[in-house]
Amino acid sequence: MLYLPVGVVFVNAVFDDGVATLAFFRAVLTDPFYFGVLADVFAEPLAARTHLESLVGWLAAVSISVSLEYPLPGIPLPVPWPSLELPAFRKGLFGFTAYQAALSTIASLALGLPAASVLANYEFRGRRTLRSLTILPFVLPGIMVAVGFYAMFGQAGTLNQLLAVAGLGPYPFIEWNPLAIVIVAHAFYNAPLVARVTVAAWESVDVRTVETARSLGASPRRAFRDVVVPQLLPAVLTGALLTFIFTFMTFPIVLALGGLQLATVEVWIYDRVRQLAYAEAATLAILETVLSLALTYAYLRYESAQSGLAREATAPSRTPLFPDLRTALSPRRLAIIGYGLVTVIVFVGPMASLVVGSVTDGSGFTLRHYAFLLERQLEGADYQTLPWLAIRNSLLFGVATLVVAVPMGVVVSVVTVRAGRGGAIVDTLAMLPLAVSGVVFGIGLLQGLVFGIPLPGGWRFQVTGAVAIVAAHAVAAYPFVTRNVSPLLSNLDPAMVESARALGASRYRALRDVELPLVASGIVAGAAFAFAISIGEFSSTVILASGSEAYTMPVAVERYLGRRSGPAIAMGTVLLGVTAASFVVVDRVGGRFER
Amino acid sequence: MTGLRLENVSKVYGADEAGTVALEGVDLTVRDGEFFTLVGPSGCGKTTTLRTIAGFEEPTEGAVRFNEREMAGVPPERRDVGVVFQSYALFPHMNVAENVGYGLQFREPPDGLSVDERVAELLNLVDLEGMGDRSPDQLSGGQQQRVALARALAPAPDLLVLDEPMSALDAQLRESLRRQVKRIQSELEITTVYVTHDQAEALAISDRVAVMNGGRVEQVGRPQEIYREPATRFVAEFVGDNNVFDGEVRSREGEYARVDVDGERFTLPAPDGTDRFTFCVRPGALSQSVERNRLTVSVETSEFLGETVRVNGRWNGGRIVLRLPAVPDRDELTVGFDPDDAHVVDWH
Repeated sequence: MLYLPVGVVFVNAVFDDGVATLAFFRAVLTDPFYFGVLADVFAEPLAARTHLESLVGWLAAVSISVSLEYPLPGIPLPVPWPSLELPAFRKGLFGFTAYQAALSTIASLALGLPAASVLANYEFRGRRTLRSLTILPFVLPGIMVAVGFYAMFGQAGTLNQLLAVAGLGPYPFIEWNPLAIVIVAHAFYNAPLVARVTVAAWESVDVRTVETARSLGASPRRAFRDVVVPQLLPAVLTGALLTFIFTFMTFPIVLALGGLQLATVEVWIYDRVRQLAYAEAATLAILETVLSLALTYAYLRYESAQSGLAREATAPSRTPLFPDLRTALSPRRLAIIGYGLVTVIVFVGPMASLVVGSVTDGSGFTLRHYAFLLERQLEGADYQTLPWLAIRNSLLFGVATLVVAVPMGVVVSVVTVRAGRGGAIVDTLAMLPLAVSGVVFGIGLLQGLVFGIPLPGGWRFQVTGAVAIVAAHAVAAYPFVTRNVSPLLSNLDPAMVESARALGASRYRALRDVELPLVASGIVAGAAFAFAISIGEFSSTVILASGSEAYTMPVAVERYLGRRSGPAIAMGTVLLGVTAASFVVVDRVGGRFER
Repeated sequence: MTGLRLENVSKVYGADEAGTVALEGVDLTVRDGEFFTLVGPSGCGKTTTLRTIAGFEEPTEGAVRFNEREMAGVPPERRDVGVVFQSYALFPHMNVAENVGYGLQFREPPDGLSVDERVAELLNLVDLEGMGDRSPDQLSGGQQQRVALARALAPAPDLLVLDEPMSALDAQLRESLRRQVKRIQSELEITTVYVTHDQAEALAISDRVAVMNGGRVEQVGRPQEIYREPATRFVAEFVGDNNVFDGEVRSREGEYARVDVDGERFTLPAPDGTDRFTFCVRPGALSQSVERNRLTVSVETSEFLGETVRVNGRWNGGRIVLRLPAVPDRDELTVGFDPDDAHVVDWH
């Protein structure tokens, strides 16, 4: 199910009218539009001297200067101001994609690591809730987050409304610096991931190792540097690498917030598909997949190298965050409060703006946007995007995905766990769909299954868009089922089943009475994840649904967003409601992402 | 180091009123070069005492003194105390040599040795020569334990504290490691505070033992004293097998007294003070061949231990433990004990 579509894309990229060719690759690799300055290198790989000379020339043009500046207007306070001037060079499409992914990774680390530190070291009301909320981004549809940011930073957004109270604005934040907004939106997604893996590592650091270092003469700061940091580093790097992979393949957020002027590889592929330039799209898709697979492979190699000794760790004791007023006013606590405000703005802001924006316009409370949706449903023409159809499709595909992905995920779990020491295989299988972008997968399914594959004897193997969409969703969703079920399954002591058998239960009864109840919570959590993933999936759906009636809620949001933001925000709010409901289910049964 | 003193140390966790009392008025003196053991059931405060000595906890009240020097406010890194934890707490990202050498960044190796020489010396001391390049996860539990010991000893600390260092190991390994720890301790003549819940281990290894219960010290003494002359009912029951009775004096005849226990009369050494008291008789002192202080025990189970047989039975509803040379062939046994084998532990 996964390999066929990717294979189809690959075939598309290397065959031209039935003849194998590398012309497409050559054309893309040597085009400065795609690879910027590297295109010259690809064009003439042997002209090393020329390339070195241009690199040296570029480095020579880098200038670092320190000047005295007066940052506060009217106050003669000189501050030494370092400035770094990099001469411009052409990054190209791939270069830009990597560039924004790198910036997004830095932003996610900057936002996620303080959160990890607070969650791991302080005790406060709601700490556990907050910790479990860090899985939320995995079920939040990207397009909805994008609309949320639109509702917050847009011309009529919450931020401008707040500024208007102070007599300022409105400012076109998104138009000013779309890249910054995209990066903040990426941090919204990935900072919780960084925080989550880091907190998990932090909690597994044996606090006795820190105490031992102290007793051997290390100061608290030194013990942190020598003992805690090296044990956190693998987790931080894991978070950073995953963030880079995810943001390298970013699609809905850039599409909705940046559009083509900020095009990443993924957005450009989508555009090529819409222009029916399939061969070019396929070539780009293959190049992108190769890059992301290489990164994922690096990640897996790195992760397996990190599996250290299973230690009996004493969890660190947490200090109360705000034991009394005096402590609350200490510099460190004030910094935490300040950081808390930033996270509230970044995480709660867009979601709240989404809801607020759906019931307000420039002048006040209104139900106009919802009325528009209702009206469109009642009076809209067939070719228009009908809200109820989108909701119905989403729910239908969600249930269908569940039916396909849950058995798929469980079977993968059982097979790998039974095979013994299957951890690495599970990881690989679970990671693969993450490394292949939804857009690439969508193209593969579109060209393979929807357009049809000729079979011997004049038959064609062909499916409708809806079936292809469910297939795409199931592939995206089954890793979550596997990741939820596998740990429970591998924790299952075989002696328990043997005990049941010895007590007279048949193999089937033992399965029903012992194994199933113990992994049930994992299956339910995986199912809820699968449902949420299906509801929110955008990348492959938007390709498979183009020109058909198989569009889902996220696709509808994007279509509305192209014309008017109000109805899009209202539709986004509906999506938020459905997603929140599935998150509640995930949380109730103790959903988990990491193993 | 001439010694370590805890003076009236109390530790309360949490808010003043509702807090949990972990230590209550602990007074201890550990002499220079002594192997001193804190023993007691889990939750008795022995680990808290050790953490207070190492500086990980500050006492709520009282003082910890090293060489008469009050240690309040001195952080762990300036106490010169080597610590070995139950979990070993080896640094997983460093190899064995790096682990052992870690403390030598902060304190000069003794005797003018280089860091490498000192590490090699310590690995030699714990029989791990040549293992410096290994990663901790390549070692067995016992080896990890020895690395932790070498690491704690490398900077030549004034005091060594060990928190249940053997409890994760199997019984045979525990015994051989115990001997090794004792050998190294007496070789280095380092003052050592050892924490364990295993009373047999405590008796076997220590110069002196403090038995703790409920945050208090019940008794301090040499192992023989603790075993033969338990000072409280708790010590009598916790250390080794014992038979504890409550009695009441009916008449006194010089050094001896006629005592009523559950309606039966025994002759015992006369207790000082009041007439109601608690005494104990070790299982070995109860013998079928002794004609005095007879009691008839109904046998419940017998455990063959090799040299002897431990017999668990009942007398007047209470539990009785006997040590006999062979498995009894009857359901009822009559045994007696010499009055001088009874030890008064408590009187009310």
